[in-house]
Amino acid sequence: MSLLARIGLALVLMLVWGGCGLARSGARAPAPVAGPARYLLPNGVPVIIEEHRASDVVALQLWVQAGARDETASELGLAHYLEHMLFKGTPTRPVGFVEREVEGVGGRINAGTSWDYTFYHTVLPARQAEAGIAMLVDVGVNASLEASLLEAEKQVVLEEMRLNEDNPRRFLVRELFSSAFEGHPYGRPVIGTSEVITGLTRETLVSFYQRHYMPEMFALVVVGAVQPEEILRVARATLGALPRGGTKRLPTTPPPPPRRARLERSRPTAQAHLGLAWQAPRLDHADTPALDLLMSILGRSKASRLVASLRERQGLVSAITSGLSALEGAGLVTIAAQLEPQNLERAEAEVLAEIRRVRDGGVTTAELKRAITAAEVEHEFSMETAEGRARAYGQAETIWRLEEELLYLDRVRSVNAAQVQAVARRYLNLERYVRVALLPQRP
Amino acid sequence: MSRLLLALALAASAAVAEAAAPPPVTRHVLPNGLTVVVREDVTLGVMAAALHVRAGSLFETADTAGITNFLQRVMLRGTQRYTALGLTEAIDDLGGSLDAAGDVEYGDVHGTALARNWEPMLRLVAEVALRPTLPAEEIERERRLILSAIQTRGDTPFQRAFDSVLNDLYGPHPYSWPSVGRRESVERTSREMLREHYTSIYRADRMVLAVSGNVPAARVMRVAERLFRDLPAPPAAARVSPAGATPRGGRRLVERPVQQAQVLVGYLGPALLEPDYAAARVLGTVLGGGMSGRLFRELREQRGLAYSVGMLGSFRTGRSFLVSYLGTAPPNAEAAEAGMLAEIERMRGEPVTEGELARAKAYLLGNLAMDRRTSTRHAWYMAFFEVIGAGWDFPERYARAVEAVTPADIARVAQRYLTRPTVIVLQPPRSAPR
Repeated sequence: MSLLARIGLALVLMLVWGGCGLARSGARAPAPVAGPARYLLPNGVPVIIEEHRASDVVALQLWVQAGARDETASELGLAHYLEHMLFKGTPTRPVGFVEREVEGVGGRINAGTSWDYTFYHTVLPARQAEAGIAMLVDVGVNASLEASLLEAEKQVVLEEMRLNEDNPRRFLVRELFSSAFEGHPYGRPVIGTSEVITGLTRETLVSFYQRHYMPEMFALVVVGAVQPEEILRVARATLGALPRGGTKRLPTTPPPPPRRARLERSRPTAQAHLGLAWQAPRLDHADTPALDLLMSILGRSKASRLVASLRERQGLVSAITSGLSALEGAGLVTIAAQLEPQNLERAEAEVLAEIRRVRDGGVTTAELKRAITAAEVEHEFSMETAEGRARAYGQAETIWRLEEELLYLDRVRSVNAAQVQAVARRYLNLERYVRVALLPQRP
Repeated sequence: MSRLLLALALAASAAVAEAAAPPPVTRHVLPNGLTVVVREDVTLGVMAAALHVRAGSLFETADTAGITNFLQRVMLRGTQRYTALGLTEAIDDLGGSLDAAGDVEYGDVHGTALARNWEPMLRLVAEVALRPTLPAEEIERERRLILSAIQTRGDTPFQRAFDSVLNDLYGPHPYSWPSVGRRESVERTSREMLREHYTSIYRADRMVLAVSGNVPAARVMRVAERLFRDLPAPPAAARVSPAGATPRGGRRLVERPVQQAQVLVGYLGPALLEPDYAAARVLGTVLGGGMSGRLFRELREQRGLAYSVGMLGSFRTGRSFLVSYLGTAPPNAEAAEAGMLAEIERMRGEPVTEGELARAKAYLLGNLAMDRRTSTRHAWYMAFFEVIGAGWDFPERYARAVEAVTPADIARVAQRYLTRPTVIVLQPPRSAPR
């Protein structure tokens, strides 16, 4: 798993391998599994349904094209705040609906907010699918956002901020993003700032809600032991009956030019952390599959180059990993290591030496083959559960395209070694990168 | 690639067979005493294997703490056939993963692979388990990494607080130290000690191999028998039975320069095979399970004291723990602690309602069911419950016991186990600049 996969909680980030699509390799497949089917409701809302009977559950997800990048300077953190407030009920569904309709029947519900989207995900016994869809749609458009509950939730979100502060890895990733995307929405913390949250009024939140939670911003994904026709009927009657709001989402802002920056932060920890970051292309760019494989060859497995060199051979770091966050409007390559403070400089130099080696000498056929196999396996495992599949489809529908997602593994398979070397040269500049060091500061 | 497609085709046929019976599980004890459990699930393209050996913290002392974990880690670093790097490459070639670690009740070697590679994957598991060479330089390399991991635990506020509460809760009992060990014990563990530990625990009678996924059960049995034939089966050694833990209660402040204080309150519960176990887990769920648990509703929803709040339970053959936790701004720590203790006290005084009980049971059983949906988790569940002596099908019996819990049972276990709280408050030093 890449570093970013561990961020979790509110800061849900897009990871190419966080769950990529189903391999529907047309030419090779004698009509395999039915795969996901995509429908458009009369009001234009997409619904993706897949019958998946590995267990008797259904994963229901409501994806919303509203995230931290849609916030104005005075709205920082509102997408995430709204995500919290949607669990506080609607006029016909008072507080406590989670207990009654989800946990009380053995299900789970949670949500995540990223720069590009917000999504609400629940897993329920399959027989609860119809009720679950009605619940998600109601919560999506009829949230009460009651003032007293809004006030009380402020403390909870401030606690969430403190939790993030105390986690060195999360802190490191946030510093890398804020420096690499300085001045750009991707450089802001998704959770927002304590100033905005503390001063938040109901009017401001309601305004954000009404502007962004329009039917045309939604996608519904249903994967599980269900009859697709039945699900479609329920979706039509609920989500499909909502009037369009007539809004259109603004396109993503172009990223700032790549920059060189070197930052140091003191942390009350015993170990040091080193993070390096390079700007990468947006998710739908043709280079994404090759860059994804390059990350795998550099630092995703135990036999990968950075792990073999820095951790195993030289003993410079206790952990090192590389990852690609491919967002809708830009991407970021990150390499993060945990180490003794005295090894910071040498470790950085050795990471650069490994990058130079790829840039100059490329990768071997065996490495490429392993990386492709790893991609296939990771994909297989991420598709084991209904919610894993639903998440891949919902994410693609929201910030990409479902058909691209379904073809992604084939794209990865067709990458050659020259392309991997080319993306290393194109994106991993040996001088222009962001470097963040977290240094132990003993009390 | 073709196997991937095969898997997809199988998934398609399974979708047609609606409401299929749960995949069959086969259990077999080989002539040398090794137990093999196989769950054959044809809907998948993947498989997972878990080889558990009865060892871990429970069988360690303050001086040897972490030795099982240390051994398991070093076993991955060289075998008669592979060097450390050769082994990782062999795994990558299979499209698999292979890992090993020590835990509280067991040590394990576990792997995953595309289903078509189940046999070479099992061969690698056997190679690691049966023919490790424990190279001296690899021991030193692993020692550094483990010491670093121990440091990382100390750097992570919740982890630090959690380790502290278990330490105080269990006192002299071996459950009191983390399975990764203590700095002092890891520093002094020698190659000789690792070799001796290996010889004492890698015996067929204290091992279980569990395999789950798209694998042919009968062939897996035959292959396992061949692969593990050389495993020694000496007469059973006397089982270690550490002194029972007794709750002592107490409160301790741990000072760290953190943004958020951690408040943890722990209790000793019944052992896994005791009649009260299911009721104690339901009790923990009423208090701290999900968004409808009392702690979440009272301390987060009503009072905004926390983002993360809940209760942790455990599968332990000795006395289990129930630990409630919460993270809050340092000035609120006192109120949070009092609030948490008050909610727990209320459990002892007021009976739960039928509705609350039903919700907690559904939540707990939902958790169990949701956690048992991937090959990796199935393999773990079967190996774990088999190796600790509860039987691979324990989760089914446990689920039935949970369903049978009554309000009176909850009242009884609350009275019996929610006594003498062990409290840890991790917060910034009073004098530190904020």
